[in-house]
Formats: sequence, structure tokens, C-alpha cells
Amino acid sequence: MFKKFSSEEISSQNQVKASVQRKIRQSIAEEYPDLEPVLEDLLPKKSPLIVAKCQNHINLILVNNVPLFFNVRDGPYMPTLRLLHQYPNIMKKMQVDRGAIKFVLAGANIMCPGLTSPGGALDDDIPAESPVAVMAEGKENALAIGFTKMSAKDIKAINKGIGVDNMHYLNDGLWKTVQLN
Amino acid sequence: MAEKPRPVQVLYCAVCTLPAEYCEFGPDFEKCKPWVIQNAPHLYPDLVKADKEAEKTGEKLQGMQISGDQADSTAPAGSVSKQEEVKRLPGGKIKKKEKPEVVVEKVVRNKRKCVTIVKGLDMFGIKLSDASKKLGKKFASGASVVKGPTEKEQIDVQGDILYDIVEFITETWPNVPENAIYFIEDGRKVPAA
Repeated sequence: MFKKFSSEEISSQNQVKASVQRKIRQSIAEEYPDLEPVLEDLLPKKSPLIVAKCQNHINLILVNNVPLFFNVRDGPYMPTLRLLHQYPNIMKKMQVDRGAIKFVLAGANIMCPGLTSPGGALDDDIPAESPVAVMAEGKENALAIGFTKMSAKDIKAINKGIGVDNMHYLNDGLWKTVQLN
Repeated sequence: MAEKPRPVQVLYCAVCTLPAEYCEFGPDFEKCKPWVIQNAPHLYPDLVKADKEAEKTGEKLQGMQISGDQADSTAPAGSVSKQEEVKRLPGGKIKKKEKPEVVVEKVVRNKRKCVTIVKGLDMFGIKLSDASKKLGKKFASGASVVKGPTEKEQIDVQGDILYDIVEFITETWPNVPENAIYFIEDGRKVPAA
């Protein structure tokens, strides 16, 4: 999704109203309850929150020109990988085997067999259509942020095709945009 | 949860910006290797071992060379640069980096008014919005960042400021060398210096 992404893709950048800001905070807090204690540090109430609209209905949430969250249309907010690396436990995790890393880092969607094989791991209680952190066998840090297409149970049962959509991965366009202005 | 979870500090590779453990899957692991060996040896134990061995053999080789032929002392440097060249060529996928240069052009409008267009400042890592502000202040005129013909951003400054823009650029941004600044005169590029 962010395979090619640069500041040119941003069609508009707005400082949002306080009410919208509150709404965004609330939905982030709902999505990631573990993030709540630090939310005040991440999105200070006082400092302006900027929403950058990009092509393909992507919205980026910027604080001090640093992208922190993104979402698609009205979908759930997802943290950027740099943020996730700082707070690794806020998202549900899935783990892919070593063989899949190469492809995920090239932007491929995550296929079920990569999650169910011995090197992979996944929690049973992950529903479909929810954001997850994609970890890798033998690595500490997340390598991608995905959006599940099937529930964890289905992934195990069907074991074929795309299990998780790759939204944002290491070294993609969003990763490379450390600062936006 | 009463206590705030502290942000985890992740070790990012200085070469490819990925977390160090993903260097091996990065765009160019070979280039990261020296950095990884220096900064994150625990992640790649094999690599460190290999490196040490390579060093040893390298030392041996050097010893042999010195004893064998001393006139060859310039050869290693040459071979290194050759290797780099070869690396860049295959596939043609890697874009040749454009030589950063600043091009200044004067466009006349309304017969007696002109606009000075400054292109390429961004290639030196200069923020264009900051630059336009500085230019506007210095020359007391309007200066704006405009999208150029080929999707490149450029700065338009009102008025003819060719006479001291070179000095101004080299003074405010010392990393821009004077010989990288060009004027466009009669459709030809002329070095400013």
C-alpha cells in the first residue's frame, strides 16, 4: 500500500478541529487500550494534530510533522512501524516463518501457510478485519503491519491464500518518510 | 496499568535505516555489513566469525604481497573502486544519482519585470519552504515554492536577483559549492563562478 509513497502523494494537509482531534484520539484509545497511558505523550492535547490526506483514501496523522498513525477510508487507525517498535505490545501479533520475511519486505501480502508453518505463530482470538503486527521468526521487532482478511481460526482451517493484507512494511515509502512538511 | 510503558529503543541500522536484525533482508546487506559488525555483533555471530577469518586471510595475503612484489601497493585501491563500479551497473535498476546542482534562471514578464527561478536547492537537503522565506527576506520581494514543469519543486523569486544570488546561496548554505551553481543564459547553461 505504501510501496511507493512520497510527499507528492499527499493531496492536502489540514490541522483538524478540536472535536475531530478528540474523535481520533478516542478511536485510537479504543483500538489500542494498552497505549492509553502514553497517548497523552504521543498526541498531546495542546499541540496541533495534522491530518494529511493522501491518494487511495489514506489518511496520515501527524504530530510535529512525524507520521504516527494511518488509516484507510474510515477504517481503524494503525500505528506506523517506528511507533510500533517503541511500544511493541500494543497490537495483536502474528508471526511468519523465516522464508516469508523476504517477500513481506517486498510488500507481499501474508499467505496463510507462512503463518501456520512451524516457524509461524498466531493467537486464536484474532478476528477477521483487524489490524495486527506481523512479527518474524527469530526476530524481536515487527516487520510489517497487516490487516487480517480471515480470522485466526479460518487461517488455520483453510490454510490457503491471503491471510493478512500487508499495509505497511519495513523500508516502504511510509517507513522512509520520517518527517513530513 | 498505573505505570507508563516506556518506549523501547530499537537499534536501527545507520546504513539502510531498518532495525539491525533485518539488515540481512535489506536492500543492500553487503553495504550494511561493516556497520552491523561494529554495532550489532550479537545479532550476526556467523558474520563476525567470517569477518575475523577474512581479516586473517587478508593479513596473510598482504604479507605475501609485500614479500612478493612491492610495486603492487597501488593495486588494492584500484580494485576496490572497480568493484563498486561493477556493483552499480548490473540490471540498470539502480538509478544514477543526478549530480546535485542549483540552476538559476531569469524569466522576463511584462517586458520590464522579471522572476528569478531557482531550481535544485532541494538536492542539497535544503528545505524549500525555509529557503523561499530566506530569499524573500533577503531580497525584500515575494518568493514562493512552485511546482515546476517536471513535478520538481522550484522557488520563484520576484525581481532580478541574479547579481547576488550566488553569494547569498553560498553564504547561507555552505554545503552548496559555488561551482555547482549555474545560470541559464540564452537557453544555455553557464557556470556562475
